[in-house]
Amino acid sequence: MTVDIREVVRTYAMNGVEVQALRGVSLTVEASEYVAIMGPSGSGKSTLMNLIGCLDVPTSGSYFLDGRDVSQLGEDELAEIRNTKIGFVFQTFNLIPRADVFHNVELPLIYRGLSPAKRREQVRAAIESVGLADRAKHRPAELSGGQRQRAAIARALVTRPSIILADEPTGNLDTVTGTEIMTLFDELHDDGHTIILVTHEDEVARHSNRVIRLRDGLIEADSAHREAA
Amino acid sequence: MSRLQWTLEAAKIAAAAIRANTARGALTTLGIIIGIVAVVTTMTAANGLANSFKESVSALGSDVLYVSRMPWIITGNFFEFRNRPNLSLRESEKLKRQLPRALAVNPTSATRRDLKYRSETLENIVVIGTTEQHMLVSTSVPESGRFISASDVQSKRPVCVIGSTIRERLFEGRDPLNAKLKIGRTTFRVVGVMEKQGSAGFFGGPDFDSQVFVPVTTFIKAYGGSNRNFNFAVKAPPGEKLGDFEFEVIGEMRKIHQLRPGEKDDFAINKMDSLLHMFNNVMGVLLLIGMVITGISLFVGGIGVMNIMFVSVTERTREIGIRKAIGAKRRAILTQFLFESCAICLIGGAIGVGLSFAVSALINRFLLPASVSLPIVAVALGVSILVGVLSGFIPALRASRLNPVEALRYE
Repeated sequence: MTVDIREVVRTYAMNGVEVQALRGVSLTVEASEYVAIMGPSGSGKSTLMNLIGCLDVPTSGSYFLDGRDVSQLGEDELAEIRNTKIGFVFQTFNLIPRADVFHNVELPLIYRGLSPAKRREQVRAAIESVGLADRAKHRPAELSGGQRQRAAIARALVTRPSIILADEPTGNLDTVTGTEIMTLFDELHDDGHTIILVTHEDEVARHSNRVIRLRDGLIEADSAHREAA
Repeated sequence: MSRLQWTLEAAKIAAAAIRANTARGALTTLGIIIGIVAVVTTMTAANGLANSFKESVSALGSDVLYVSRMPWIITGNFFEFRNRPNLSLRESEKLKRQLPRALAVNPTSATRRDLKYRSETLENIVVIGTTEQHMLVSTSVPESGRFISASDVQSKRPVCVIGSTIRERLFEGRDPLNAKLKIGRTTFRVVGVMEKQGSAGFFGGPDFDSQVFVPVTTFIKAYGGSNRNFNFAVKAPPGEKLGDFEFEVIGEMRKIHQLRPGEKDDFAINKMDSLLHMFNNVMGVLLLIGMVITGISLFVGGIGVMNIMFVSVTERTREIGIRKAIGAKRRAILTQFLFESCAICLIGGAIGVGLSFAVSALINRFLLPASVSLPIVAVALGVSILVGVLSGFIPALRASRLNPVEALRYE
């Protein structure tokens, strides 16, 4: 089991009022699954994604990632988990503007502590796999939206993560480019990658094999468990 | 990856960040440049001052005791010193007899007289009556001609030896040897010119280059001698500790003055060391004040760097979020921003040191001998890095502690 979340609660203090973003969510994702998490804004899907991505820890409940309990880890340990097990793809690409594609993709490996020689091969392979080999020396500003998202996907892939976690990956793209990017995700899934998408577009969710719907901090429906619907 | 490699990566990241905002970096650097120039120049000037002082007082000789009526540096009640008797030429001869081991006992007396050469007049010049023994106690030597000889003293010859400043001011390139110089009302023949000593004059100390030496016997004949006060320069025997010899001299002087045990000395023993000691004390205080004042300008520069680092961190909140999301630990973020502030300060420091060379060249030309030394450069660069670390630490710490979720959401 790649992701094993049990009875996770996440509360925030907002202006002194306690807000429950997640009110007891349990969820498992197997390796090589292709999951879409859907729900209206405020349903807790961003919170869930932050938890799965180890950017945040639950208030209560447990989270096992590749069999390891990560729900009580400190900040630097979480950083290490993110570095080795999670590949993030964001709606706004989140590339570093001053750095070219190559350096952006290289960055996770720098933080992992690989030597420049070892990094080079992996970075090149990742850039090639998203079809950006001829753009490696370009800065994000010199790329189209689709190319930027490809660079971001290359950055997510370069560490060979357990999960690729994509938050509205087509949200800032036109329909044609969005479709291209979704095709790329399909290919990655075919290669055996575990993919978790957060989206509110049915069009995007349709690419996945499994749709989890959240509402008010609870799982409302999970297509893997018809009885929950 | 080794620590060194990681350091290289952090340096590269910092360099890219500074390049991305050159104008702002340059303005921030300016504060550090000014601070470093101030610090380096102060230290250089102080060094130059100390060196030129030491050089000029070295003429006094490190193994020579000066027996005088007054101490050079008077501390305490001046009235205790005022009633002391003058030291006479006869006492100098007695002292010489009683200190057979002394290499030299040289009596000198000084007065001020106007100097006249043809139509030129120099007013109020220090005239020193001395003997041929002067050459034994002083490190200065004639640059041309000769010094006063024993036979000059014996025969009361009207000859004189002038300091280099006097030559420059009266003779302007002409040969002063054998020129007739009127000192007060007596005419002297110039037989030598002393080599340049460097002046401690800017400290109110003696200006050894503006003096005229004449035989002590001629001096008494020309300017009167019965009530004149003399100083005795006593050179210690070789290998003898100056402190031990000082006791001997004090003992002999007490005998000459017929002081009873328990009576206070009515003369003073002066030496170069005590001058240097006083100078070092004064210089230490001056340097401290200078360092505090210039340190403030460096401090202000450091505040500027801190300010810009806070701006830089805020501006790049999102970038920090990205870096954290893909696995940067707190230490990595901290290092990145510390490197950035250190680089800004080090660049400023390097430029500042470069400018300091120019400033001290100016000081050297117009004020006093000064040159930037390697230790000062090392201190300046070290201080720059220190300022970088100190001013960058709090912003860098803030950056490293950002919550990745909130940082990623930052617009």
